[in-house]
Amino acid sequence: MLRTIGKMLKYKRLTLGYPKKKPDHRFFIGKPVIDQGKCTKCKECLNRCPSGAIVQNPATGQVDINLDECIFCVLCEDVCKFDAAHMTRAYETAEKDRMALRKSPLIIEERDLPNGDYELLCNQVSEKISKTFGRSLQIREVDAGSCNGCDYEINGLNNPFNDIERLGIHFVASPRHADMLLVTGTGTRNMELALVKTYNACPSPKLVVAVGACACSGGIFKDTYAGRNGIDAIVPVDVYIPGCPPRPVSILYGILKALDKI
Amino acid sequence: MEHIKWIDQLEEAFPGLLKNPSLENGNELRMEMEKADLREICLYVYETLNLPLIGLFASDERSLHRFFALYYTFADRDHGVTLTLTTKVEEKKPMYDSVTDRIHGAALYEREIKDMFGLEPIGHPDAKPLLLHSNWPEGHFPLRKDFDGRKRPPYANRKMKFKKVGGQGVFEIPVGPVHAGIIEPGHFRFSVAGEPIINLEAQLGFVHKGIEKLAERSNLEKGLYIAERISGDETFSNSLAYCLAAEKIARITVPKRGQYTRVVFAELERLTAHLGDLAGICLDVGYGFACFQFRMMRGWCYPLADELCGMRFLRSVNQPGGVRKDFLAGKEDSAMEQLLKIEKELTDTWRILRGNSMFADRVENTGIVRPEVAKDLNAVGPPARAAGRAIDVRKDFPYSSYGEFKFDVPEFTDGDVNARMKIKLKECHSSISIMLQALGGIQKMGDKEFNMPLGELPPYQWAYGMTESPRGENLHFLMTGESNAIFRYKVRTPSFCNWPVVCHAVQGNIVPDFPLINKSFNLSYAGNDL
Repeated sequence: MLRTIGKMLKYKRLTLGYPKKKPDHRFFIGKPVIDQGKCTKCKECLNRCPSGAIVQNPATGQVDINLDECIFCVLCEDVCKFDAAHMTRAYETAEKDRMALRKSPLIIEERDLPNGDYELLCNQVSEKISKTFGRSLQIREVDAGSCNGCDYEINGLNNPFNDIERLGIHFVASPRHADMLLVTGTGTRNMELALVKTYNACPSPKLVVAVGACACSGGIFKDTYAGRNGIDAIVPVDVYIPGCPPRPVSILYGILKALDKI
Repeated sequence: MEHIKWIDQLEEAFPGLLKNPSLENGNELRMEMEKADLREICLYVYETLNLPLIGLFASDERSLHRFFALYYTFADRDHGVTLTLTTKVEEKKPMYDSVTDRIHGAALYEREIKDMFGLEPIGHPDAKPLLLHSNWPEGHFPLRKDFDGRKRPPYANRKMKFKKVGGQGVFEIPVGPVHAGIIEPGHFRFSVAGEPIINLEAQLGFVHKGIEKLAERSNLEKGLYIAERISGDETFSNSLAYCLAAEKIARITVPKRGQYTRVVFAELERLTAHLGDLAGICLDVGYGFACFQFRMMRGWCYPLADELCGMRFLRSVNQPGGVRKDFLAGKEDSAMEQLLKIEKELTDTWRILRGNSMFADRVENTGIVRPEVAKDLNAVGPPARAAGRAIDVRKDFPYSSYGEFKFDVPEFTDGDVNARMKIKLKECHSSISIMLQALGGIQKMGDKEFNMPLGELPPYQWAYGMTESPRGENLHFLMTGESNAIFRYKVRTPSFCNWPVVCHAVQGNIVPDFPLINKSFNLSYAGNDL
């Protein structure tokens, strides 16, 4: 017992103060950018990008990165001979609109779209939620086909360093208690039904946050027989958090963004 | 290589039936056999020569020789040799003799082959679908080369069968796929009478993403990024197994500095994973203090990973031929200091934990894996070592200079949660010790080379990459195609072997202990479902 108390006194407080205090991000590998001044449009990165995130604008010829598809693998930086593509340390990358992450238009197959104008729906819901859950939020996490990297990072939100409960945010055991679904993974064929059922079990108003490249766009697992290209083909999404996997602080940023707190 | 007795024995037992024997890559013994003889030969190897079956998979090689090929892989862990027996199956007669009734570990492999290739195992006691669920229409086989991997077949509504347990007072508890915690999806059917579990059937495959098919339309460069995303917390051991296989085909040796760097990252991954598991075990028995101690230590591993490579999950570190950068240069001292801090805290925490009798009460004699079960199902990794099988790829099939480091493979015989926990704790200490040795070695190393180019690989060659991931023996099979494409990439993670072991371990335990037992294994769903 004495030893236990000793340990408690030794490490008084480990929690990092994000979002009030920014974390030490010296070593972070964050959002990739292409310096258009240096880019010669040689398309080496475009041809080699493993997740097909790099695109060329047919009108201007500009080569750029769709962040929702990027898996942060650093290959573009390595192969660029002109020092144009490089990784920044930016980690606050979540966006409410998927188009804000993209440089090329989104091509969605007709059958991938759920019924109804969900953009309008999302905005209404989002307004309502920020009024309703001003001070606290209950989250249910659903893995719809991830590699478990994102799930470990979400788990990391509960560790003593991030301690998400200090912000009034809790992870709950059932979607029936939840205000927000935190969804990871591409939306595999076998999880589709379970995801829809979980969504329906969650009382309205509700928010859906897509965590990671897979959930945003399918990431590296795009266009396979066993999954969708992102979960917005199955349920309406309010916030997209890119990353492979996104860091706990990036996920936290996305959650707070969904609540209009940032 | 020293002379191995069983090779002569095998050739004497089946004169003329094993064709084209060859020894490749130093320790991969390969032989071909006729489909009619496969059952007899495999049973002889398994039962008489006592070599465990570590892999069984198919490959659609109709474009090469008009047949499907089956690869039966056995391991001689004493000599560090694998034996691969291959056979051919005609398209017109897509069936072969099952070996599951005598080699129990083959059950899931044969079901997977039936799902993916439509090859029927004759005599399999329960050949129901494994990874493809009720929504999958019959007659579509994703890993056949004539199946378009970009196309989604129409949705079907088949019935899934579960094992029924009858009798008065017996009922079923279905759990999942969406669970209460922040974990991956899987469906569990418990058959219980009161609290004790009579039978557990795990239906997995919910996160099946079609990784193997995706690899077949990729080149070797993209294959690496796919391998890194097989299972998030085993990123490094999966990418390392992939790289080892590619390097064997290219016949190159990675420079020493690259090998040592790989060892440091592989052990850092093990340390991080084990600390998370220990935290999870403590959380599931409601011991908050110890849980947060371990989470704190795990939290210290991440900034270390960040400092070394900028990636918390050690992605984009490996590349076939070595490592991407000289990640450790100039950071050795800082890394050593942080590791020693973790080691000290670990020792202190264990001292507190050990003295808690309520904790001991929950973990001792819970979820026992009997040695026979571990042997029959080819259990690997910490669960096997906790059940009296001291197997470890790092010792049995040394790779990446592991032969040069001093470490012990812990072994316990109880097979319960407590034993698995002690194994993981001991491995945390040995991982730290290996990392310190490797970092010291790198500091003294004059050679600055850390990778070398892979070049163009010869087509239609194959090799195995084996690593010891945090969860155990990890086996990757890589076969090249034309101009650095991938012809077939088969991944068998330790989770695939250990999931049936979990189902045995929970029998006779009470339902509330299931999360604890499951956590003590902490298997990957993604690594199993691919």
